[in-house]
Amino acid sequence: MAGKSLLFLILIMLLFTNLSFSSDGTPQNSSWFDINTLATLIVSLIFAAIIIYSIQSASKGKGIQIREIPGLKAIDDALGRATEMGAPVLFTPGWGGDVQRPTTIASMNILSTVAEKTAEYDCRLIYPTHDPVIMAVAQEVIKESCIKSGYPDRYRAEDVFYISSSQFGYAAAVDGIISRTKPASIFLLGTFEAESLIMAETGNSVGAIQIAGTDSTIQLAFFIVACDYTLIGEELFAASGYLTQNKSILASVRAQDIMKILIALFIVIAIIWATIDPKSAWWKF
Amino acid sequence: MRNKLPLIICLISGLIMFLQYFSKHPVSRAVYSSILDWWQIIFAFTLLVGAAAFVKVSLKGLQKKGEGKYKAIALAGVVVMPILAIIGGNKLGSPFLWVFENIQAPMQSTVFSLLAFFVASAAYRGFRARTIPAAILLISALFVLLGRIPISEYFSEWFTRIMFWIQDYPSMAARRAILIGIGLGSLTTAMRVILGIERTYMRGE
Amino acid sequence: MRSQKTRWLIYGLLFIAIIISYSITIQLKVTPSPFVKKTFEYMEHLPPQSVIIISFDHEASSLPEIKPIAQIMLRHVFRQNIRVIGMSLFAEGTAIGYDMLTKAAREFGKTYGEDYLFLGFKPQYISAILGMGESIRRIFPEDYLGNRVDSIPLMKNIDNYNSIAMVISIADGDRAVQWIEYAGARYDQKVIAGLTAAMITTYDPYLNSGQLYSLVGGLRGAAEYESLYGKLGGGNRGLLAQSVAHFFIIILIIVGNIIYFKNRMQSKGMK
Repeated sequence: MAGKSLLFLILIMLLFTNLSFSSDGTPQNSSWFDINTLATLIVSLIFAAIIIYSIQSASKGKGIQIREIPGLKAIDDALGRATEMGAPVLFTPGWGGDVQRPTTIASMNILSTVAEKTAEYDCRLIYPTHDPVIMAVAQEVIKESCIKSGYPDRYRAEDVFYISSSQFGYAAAVDGIISRTKPASIFLLGTFEAESLIMAETGNSVGAIQIAGTDSTIQLAFFIVACDYTLIGEELFAASGYLTQNKSILASVRAQDIMKILIALFIVIAIIWATIDPKSAWWKF
Repeated sequence: MRNKLPLIICLISGLIMFLQYFSKHPVSRAVYSSILDWWQIIFAFTLLVGAAAFVKVSLKGLQKKGEGKYKAIALAGVVVMPILAIIGGNKLGSPFLWVFENIQAPMQSTVFSLLAFFVASAAYRGFRARTIPAAILLISALFVLLGRIPISEYFSEWFTRIMFWIQDYPSMAARRAILIGIGLGSLTTAMRVILGIERTYMRGE
Repeated sequence: MRSQKTRWLIYGLLFIAIIISYSITIQLKVTPSPFVKKTFEYMEHLPPQSVIIISFDHEASSLPEIKPIAQIMLRHVFRQNIRVIGMSLFAEGTAIGYDMLTKAAREFGKTYGEDYLFLGFKPQYISAILGMGESIRRIFPEDYLGNRVDSIPLMKNIDNYNSIAMVISIADGDRAVQWIEYAGARYDQKVIAGLTAAMITTYDPYLNSGQLYSLVGGLRGAAEYESLYGKLGGGNRGLLAQSVAHFFIIILIIVGNIIYFKNRMQSKGMK
């Protein structure tokens, strides 16, 4: 499936690129292909090829090991604690994202695991959100997780709800829920902005175990101070592979590392080049 | 087919959005504009779903002990604000704008201001020179805090200079590295969704 | 229990410190930073009758910090006879934006529809920003007051970013990033951000790479802009309170460390 998709993608791109040049090879003004985006296209195709190749080769080869991520390893402890205390678990995707954002999708992957375990342990899971679409998707994910764990009756639709699209309206409501229900464990995973510390500090004040992760570099600093575990940057995106041990997903995480090495190499070469020849600009695109 | 159809739609939509980025052709632009219009329309409907769900949950919560009063206030807000906007409009001096400026804005600013208190208590707890790296972090934080306020200029302009240096070099380097990781993570997640490998968002089927 | 008491003590002391600092008036000396100067210079040299977009991408919550920035920038653009298209990518920013824009325009005797205009709110910010690059009137067929955009004189010959000199996003979150990443990257639209202090460092990478033209950040940025403009306002008033809060946090960090080292020495002594 993945190999065929890549072939399909490259064929379309070739056709697309071809249409953008006139017969003498000069770029056309209203062409199908905007020549200014050529560098982006080449880099995108290289990266797409790396991801698809990694996924294909992983399905044939041995399993891939990724390093331990303490925040994800602590999920079991956090849920176990909630079960022992008979207190609920609260999961928030933050206020900043919408459903198409990769961070939200990554957060849904962790939600799926958390929901499966809370259903198994018969622990209440509260999921307040700021976006009606996220609410609908989360309801489906949690419902499915309850079915997977063998306890479909433990799904509580009223615990997955939309509050407000207003940032601090949402933060105030979540703070209120934390103060009243005193959850034993809080998951702050998704896109966060200024509300991050308001929620994390409230969670800290009720003594909850807090596992956080976001793609916002500035909020990471707040989470590191106020939470017990923090998933930094790409750890959040690697979570679904780590939790499910799905070969294809783990392979895409490995592809991510290969791309990172390529970028690092490019940066080193560009630095050396720019130092030797300060007028050079080939590396700017 | 029930499982495959959403995956096919996802693949095609992903490819169209990817390809249109590289084209300025009128047809491509028209397709793109239409998609953006659909996006707006779909969102408008999801807001209705959200509002309905909010009202439903709040009505249920009204009967619960302890939660009832909060839900009643929330419901009152949902009902009163649209009525004010419909009756008096939203121009300067309208009741809607008055309520917004004199009730909603101060309430929200109050919640935002909590951040200052939480930053203070988190800084007190978190900034401890337990190790050498932690001590370096602490000293950097002190320079940034001092550099941000004009009073520091009365003592020495070096506070501001050091603050800019910390922000522009060590801090920026670390942030860029994290951003590259996040960018690549987003890219692979998007690819997994387009290729149908990541399916949690559609019940993992 | 002890940690809860400490928490409340910190909150109480900070509250008192801020209340006192707001009740006294001290004029602080501010030296404009390079980026505030760059923004100010840009506005000074922009030809009169140029059109800019000011997007109020914030909520009511950040108003105490955002309002001084927005007010001084609006005053400046109207003084320079620059025409303004106001809008918002936040539902809450809509009423606030309309209010601030109208009040600033009235101060300078500007006419709605000719010198300024408010398009209102558009949800789904990414599609709105991208859509405006194709056609503004398609995304906003009507303005905030319900007038057809086609019939508004200011919008004559303006349909996408090609006719817009600058987008200023007054933001309390990462909405200005979307302007940079979508309007900037795709349509080469210049972007300036007016930000809350907490968000400034998020924008540093964009500023260094040149993707963000310039920024005015926090109460200090507003105060610096006010000093360049020559009329002091909310930025200067809030700056003292902010300075006091910073000092308070510095003292807290020092006290926290003294207690930490004292406890560590005591526990070592006991061993």
